[in-house]
Amino acid sequence: MKISLSWLGDYLKTTQTAEQLAETLTRSGIEVKSVVSHGAAIPKVVAAQILESTQHPNADRLSVCKVDDGSGTPRQIVCGAKNYKVGDKILLALPGAALPGDVKIKVGKLRGVESEGMMCSSKELGLGEGVDGLHILPPETMIGTELGALFPADDILELEITPNRPDWLGYLGVAREAAAFGAGEFLEPAWNLPSTIEDKNVATITDHNGCPFYSIRKIDGITMNPSPSWLVQRLAVMEARPINLVVDLANYVMFETAQPLHAFDANKIQGALNVRFAREGEKLEALDGKTYQLQSSDLVIADDQGPQALAGIIGGMKSGVTAATNSILLESAIFDPATIAHSLRYHGINTEAGYRFERGNRAGTMEASARVAALLDELTGSIAAKNLFVAGQFPEPLQIELRGDQVRQLLGAEMSDEQIDGYLKKLGLIKKESAWQISSWRPDLYRSVDLIEEVSRVHGIEAIKSRYMAFPAPSSKEDQAYDQMMMLRRRLAAGGFFEARTGTLVAKEIADKKAIALRNPMGEQQAVLRTSLLSGLKKVLQHNLQQGSSSIRLFELGKIYQQSEAPYCEEKFSLALMTTGAAVPMSWRSDSQRSLDLYDFKGMVDQLVPGKINYQSWEEPLPPGMSLMLRVFCDAHLAGYVGLLHPAAARELMLTGQEYPVAVAELDVAMLCDVIEQGGGNKVGVLTRFPAMVRDIALIVDKSVAYASLEQVLLSAKEELLRSVTPFDIFTDPSGEKIAADKKSVALSLKFQHDDRTLTAQEVGEACERLMMLLKTSFDAEVRS
Amino acid sequence: MNIEIDQLRQKALATLEASSDEASLKELRVHYLGKAGAISQLSEGMRHLSKEERPVVGKLLNELRTSFTEALEAKEAVLVLAADAAVFQSLDPSLPGTATWQGGLHPLTLLTDRVIQIFRRLGFALATGPDIDTEWRCFDALNTPAHHPARNDQDTFYFPDGRLLRTQTSTVQIRAMEQAPPPLRIIAPGSAYRRDEIDATHLSQFTQMEVLCVAPGITLADLKGTAEFFYRELFGPEIECRFRPHFFPFTEPSFEIDVRSSLLSNKWLELAGCGMVDPAVFEAINKKRGDNAYDPDKVSGFAFGFGLERLVMILTGTSDIRMLTENDLRFLERFV
Repeated sequence: MKISLSWLGDYLKTTQTAEQLAETLTRSGIEVKSVVSHGAAIPKVVAAQILESTQHPNADRLSVCKVDDGSGTPRQIVCGAKNYKVGDKILLALPGAALPGDVKIKVGKLRGVESEGMMCSSKELGLGEGVDGLHILPPETMIGTELGALFPADDILELEITPNRPDWLGYLGVAREAAAFGAGEFLEPAWNLPSTIEDKNVATITDHNGCPFYSIRKIDGITMNPSPSWLVQRLAVMEARPINLVVDLANYVMFETAQPLHAFDANKIQGALNVRFAREGEKLEALDGKTYQLQSSDLVIADDQGPQALAGIIGGMKSGVTAATNSILLESAIFDPATIAHSLRYHGINTEAGYRFERGNRAGTMEASARVAALLDELTGSIAAKNLFVAGQFPEPLQIELRGDQVRQLLGAEMSDEQIDGYLKKLGLIKKESAWQISSWRPDLYRSVDLIEEVSRVHGIEAIKSRYMAFPAPSSKEDQAYDQMMMLRRRLAAGGFFEARTGTLVAKEIADKKAIALRNPMGEQQAVLRTSLLSGLKKVLQHNLQQGSSSIRLFELGKIYQQSEAPYCEEKFSLALMTTGAAVPMSWRSDSQRSLDLYDFKGMVDQLVPGKINYQSWEEPLPPGMSLMLRVFCDAHLAGYVGLLHPAAARELMLTGQEYPVAVAELDVAMLCDVIEQGGGNKVGVLTRFPAMVRDIALIVDKSVAYASLEQVLLSAKEELLRSVTPFDIFTDPSGEKIAADKKSVALSLKFQHDDRTLTAQEVGEACERLMMLLKTSFDAEVRS
Repeated sequence: MNIEIDQLRQKALATLEASSDEASLKELRVHYLGKAGAISQLSEGMRHLSKEERPVVGKLLNELRTSFTEALEAKEAVLVLAADAAVFQSLDPSLPGTATWQGGLHPLTLLTDRVIQIFRRLGFALATGPDIDTEWRCFDALNTPAHHPARNDQDTFYFPDGRLLRTQTSTVQIRAMEQAPPPLRIIAPGSAYRRDEIDATHLSQFTQMEVLCVAPGITLADLKGTAEFFYRELFGPEIECRFRPHFFPFTEPSFEIDVRSSLLSNKWLELAGCGMVDPAVFEAINKKRGDNAYDPDKVSGFAFGFGLERLVMILTGTSDIRMLTENDLRFLERFV
């Protein structure tokens, strides 16, 4: 909400500047988004009247005007605006005036015609957006009046009001709070409240849950004069469009008190006004020109003809106040916030009244009505009925008990009972014998803890001494899981991988059937929860290839989601890896041309849980877009897969001409972490002090023999001295010159060691012989050492 | 014999003088000093000498062996030095170093980790909860009225069965209290979702950190101390914290925390919402638990929550939140 400081001054006597007041309000809990100075008095800008207007001889879009600025001699002004007529009063900047934006006015020629000043728009004078074209003044404006006298300088504060304080949606509420926080003195207007009377022929309530209290003031003999300029100006601050005097005053008083009001044209109402829920099939043609199909959950104000207003939200066109109205029924009521909120949401309407009622406003229900009646009587000579017709019960003020120790205990602050009483009294609460009486404008206060909050606000949290209370907290299961996941992340970063974080909402077509779909997605591209991390990583890969990255090593560790029987949804952490491009950074060495491939990729996956990762062949049909897959096991548990994208699928991610293998993996994080938790690979055991002996052998086998089967045979041969097998050269010769084209040469490095003694060359030689023989018979291999 | 020794010395030293490579030095060593080398052969001849002559000749032969060995080794040392020097001469130290690939963690992960480590110092343990949760945990148990605007379809993502994507990590507060009685001291980082249009400062999926402490005797002073400790650890000791009264349905009193530092723009930055847990939240939990473990007359607590993306942006000078989801490697490389 925006508030004008000059207007606020009607209810707050203060010496604070706009900035100081902003600080005070911030301290009280009203956030001040901005402070803007308006209508600064610019010298040499005066009210003037257009005496005549002729077409500019040399420019179609310009006219030449004679303007009376009160000096006695008309001035000639060239003007481009079109929104005026001869006789209008406008604002004229005289030669020598300096307008905002460093515009200096001087006598000069425009397309050959002399112009002795400039007629101005609202914007040019810093008076706000205003209309397109000249700012037209009211006809009663005195010619020659200085701008500063017409538009006194003002500061506009933009406030952000929390939903618990509807009273702050009125000037009185803001002034009362500012005064309580030391800005000055609260000036409450004299209300002259009328006596009340119940009359079933005027107003009745059928549904008291929707409307506990309803009131009508009848005002007759209204002359619908134009709204005075002060009223129009104040409404302009609130960005409210002037409509007619009655509506403008009702709006004005709403901004003043926070109590929304509605005026019915008394001559168009038949029978009593009744507050009830709408009936099947009822409609309302509202003041916004739209017709609303009413639901049984909509609270309405109806007369004998049917609904005349959507209660607390918007009035009906049929009984609306027009220029011809001379008698009104002025409504002021309390409506149930939930009912109002429901109707606002259901019909998709936003109105100032609805905004206040859905926040539970009950500030100034009686006062606002009396205020409009008094202003109308003053401005039009109308006569308000002596009595206010009421229905229902005005809510009794709440009484809340509060003990000083409750306050001190929750706030952890030393303060006396007297201090506490003082704070609450400042806020306008009344101390009764055993409890505090809550003022009508504070619907947010209904428990003792709410009063403690009030004390904390006025006391100020700065005045409370900070305390550091810590007690030991054993690490939780979640702590352990987090640490394991961070370990995986750090291993990947150490291996040259970058972590990506992508959104969990994805398009329907990339997720599988088990994906969980939103009821109200924001768009097709974010319609379901991801069942895999790969689609996100593919997008990141593609983005980075487009940005010119030559080597991409990505991972993401995040949640995936899928439907399951019970519970309804499974959420688990998944780890995906993806690589493509150069294997080593480009350098002046000659070894920088190789592309990242499946073996680089497996090497990284191995490092996630060293010594525990192994692979088995894929047995099902490959999913679309993949050309090779291996199942990954961590210890004995299936953890996921690694694979290569099909070259066609990979090309879709690449720029034209790029052709790199894209390796991918997706692994179940819990499977990896389980093994890390068991200390997998971390048991040190005994470090033998006796040297190892290494023997290299080479064998020639059929090309089709898988390397793993060679290793398998060697390691399961029960050679107790053999510690490890490492392949160090794989060689094929398609030309068949060095070895047959259907054969491959595999060189292996065998490491032998004993924990308790030094090996002899003889025993290693014998072991090596046995292993070579084994290979020879198992694979029909040609073996040499 | 003396003459022979002398001749051998002269010849050996002359040959040594003429040799300049490693191979010929090796050959010289074998030729003169080897088991069957020239000096050994001369020693053989000592058998024919008299008892008196032997020690004299032996001494001469020893001197020859020693002096030649020294000369040979000196020459070898010169060659090694020259070879070593040649190794360095072949280097061009001005060539750039050849790097290995570096990787790195996402800045949001790094910041989350820093935040977690700070709270661990204060004795907080991690807690988690699912992204998909019930309306009860996300709103009702957090004292949010049924007609609250945040609950409608325009602001919150719903599933057909009425569950939702949590709009705040405060659902974990509820889960933690459902599961365990006080005392409770938890932090919970995680994703939250709101139906906001994505722009430079908004994402529809973002990351929050939830902090909850419930125990007998917890006061607003503890909340203030904890928040100040956290921001001083994160931004440095020179920061100022301001607690601005605010409103949240689930805390009473409620505050927003603003932080100002000369190291960061020197403007008040709105960073977190916090407050003392509203008794209505405890009552909802008790009802669900079927006990009175969270009796508002016996325990109290504070909660606070904040967006992690905003902290990353402030600490790294990132102006557009979308850079955090784009994962451009040039951006990620800054955080290696």
